[in-house]
Amino acid sequence: MIRRWPGFLLFVFILLAWECASAFNWVDQVSIPRVSAIAQAWAASVQDGRLLAALGSTLGRIICGFAVAALVAVPLGLAMGSFALVYRLIEPLTEFVRPIPAAAYIPVAILFLGIGDEMKVFVVALACLFPILLNTYGGVRGVDPVLIDTGRTFGVPRLQALRQIVLPAALPSILTGMRISLGIALIVAVVAEMIAGNSGIGYYILDMQRSFRIPDMFAGIFTLGLVGFIINFAFLKIEQHFLRWRGTSVET
Amino acid sequence: MAAPIIELKDLAKTFSVHGRTLTVFENLSCRIEAGSFVSIVGPSGCGKSTLLKLMCGLDSPSAGTVLFQNRPVGGPARGMICVFQHYTRSILPWRDVMGNVAFGLNAAKKSLPPRQARDKCLQYIRLVGLEGYERYHPYQLSGGMQQRVCIARALICEPAVLLMDEPFSAVDAMTRAVLQELILKIRTTVPVTILFVTHDVDEAVFLSSRVIALGPAPASIRDDVAIDLPQPRDQIATREDGRFIATRQRLFASIFLQEKREQARAAPPQA
Ligand SMILES: Nc1ncnc2c1ncn2[C@@H]1O[C@H](COP(=O)(O)OP(=O)(O)OP(=O)(O)O)[C@@H](O)[C@H]1O
Ligand SMILES: [Mg+2]
Repeated sequence: MIRRWPGFLLFVFILLAWECASAFNWVDQVSIPRVSAIAQAWAASVQDGRLLAALGSTLGRIICGFAVAALVAVPLGLAMGSFALVYRLIEPLTEFVRPIPAAAYIPVAILFLGIGDEMKVFVVALACLFPILLNTYGGVRGVDPVLIDTGRTFGVPRLQALRQIVLPAALPSILTGMRISLGIALIVAVVAEMIAGNSGIGYYILDMQRSFRIPDMFAGIFTLGLVGFIINFAFLKIEQHFLRWRGTSVET
Repeated sequence: MAAPIIELKDLAKTFSVHGRTLTVFENLSCRIEAGSFVSIVGPSGCGKSTLLKLMCGLDSPSAGTVLFQNRPVGGPARGMICVFQHYTRSILPWRDVMGNVAFGLNAAKKSLPPRQARDKCLQYIRLVGLEGYERYHPYQLSGGMQQRVCIARALICEPAVLLMDEPFSAVDAMTRAVLQELILKIRTTVPVTILFVTHDVDEAVFLSSRVIALGPAPASIRDDVAIDLPQPRDQIATREDGRFIATRQRLFASIFLQEKREQARAAPPQA
């Protein structure tokens, strides 16, 4: 915890500088309001529940999309890593689809799924899919051949070896893929909400900007920063829990 | 002569590396008797690991056959378990000592009631001297302890043949002596045929009832010696025994001297 102090101090310093810059009109006070004004707006919108409701629907979409992606990508990645045929079948498709930014699918998804939750969950799931898939595949390919031979000499059947040896051995990189994809999920969900629909924190930020409630807009943005931080931190803790057997802390 | 538990018939192994064929060995034949402790020695790269993998079915020969209990080996064979040199890469790091040993028991498909399974795991953990460490994970164990876990995990399957590929070469000299004692002690309690690969001639003579010496690649059997040193073997007395010294000298000669002679013939000294 002590090691975090310098970073925390820098953070406070920037907020103070911001407060002064705005208070003394060094910057345009309308487009860059004082930090204290943002804090007030934040407290008010938390109290009347609007911000939390927006946040809730965004988080719901992220969790659903992430869960769908994980349920598809982990088994698919295991299969791609273990069976050459599956790899040769899937690999060209993934290499083509992967570079396309997930946000580019939003217009198509709107055509098929409308502007509601289905569309957003779909886009989030698509964005989460590839980091998990590629990391799972990479993790499986990286399993030590000695470990594979160990399973074989003990006569462990192939499917059982997948569960007892390959999956746990690939777990570190699978979890890394999941953590990366959670970060992307937040970005994509907010973009999707800004483009279409009338709920979620992305919509909230855009709506506040359009109605010139600039402190509220910044309150939304700060909330996103905080949520991103908390998600990452929580997931790191989960990773550490599952990877206790490595005896070292998870690299960030 | 006891019936052979393993028989190699005209075994050959070639790899193709960058389009060229590399012959590791060919026309290799020998018989391993049940209950014997056979060491295979030879210089690095001569094909000892390759041979061991062929015997337990982890790899298939380019020609010839391996017979195990009179049946040809066509894949990882039940009844044979291989212990690898790199124990850190063979142990399951996410399982504790108990879990690793239980892995062996489950793999042996001996469905025991939980209580009995637990007792059996504990029995083998005790056999390798790790009682009290059941809940330790590999990262909390020393190298020698990890290799003991691998040995317990293999023995709990009650294999007919235990194949060990330089099992002690990655531990320090002190631990190595302790593990040698351990394997000799285990031999007196568990009836298992051991095939032991090492490049340490002394270790081979000290442990075995028979030593097979391979020459440099492409390997052939250079020598095959029965070791009739008295049991139990003793780190000091056995190593001072005249027969021990004579045997190790004979083995060194058959592995290396022939090579020197050939080199001398190929490049005669300039007069
Ligand atoms: N998968 C492979 N592909 C190509 N060549 C191989 C392969 N495995 C082994 N070889 C070659 O076979 C030869 C014998 O290798 P092997 O690992 O059996 O030697 P070794 O006697 O066990 O040596 P060491 O004592 O160093 O472990 C080497 O020349 C090696 O390059
Ligand atoms: Mg080797």
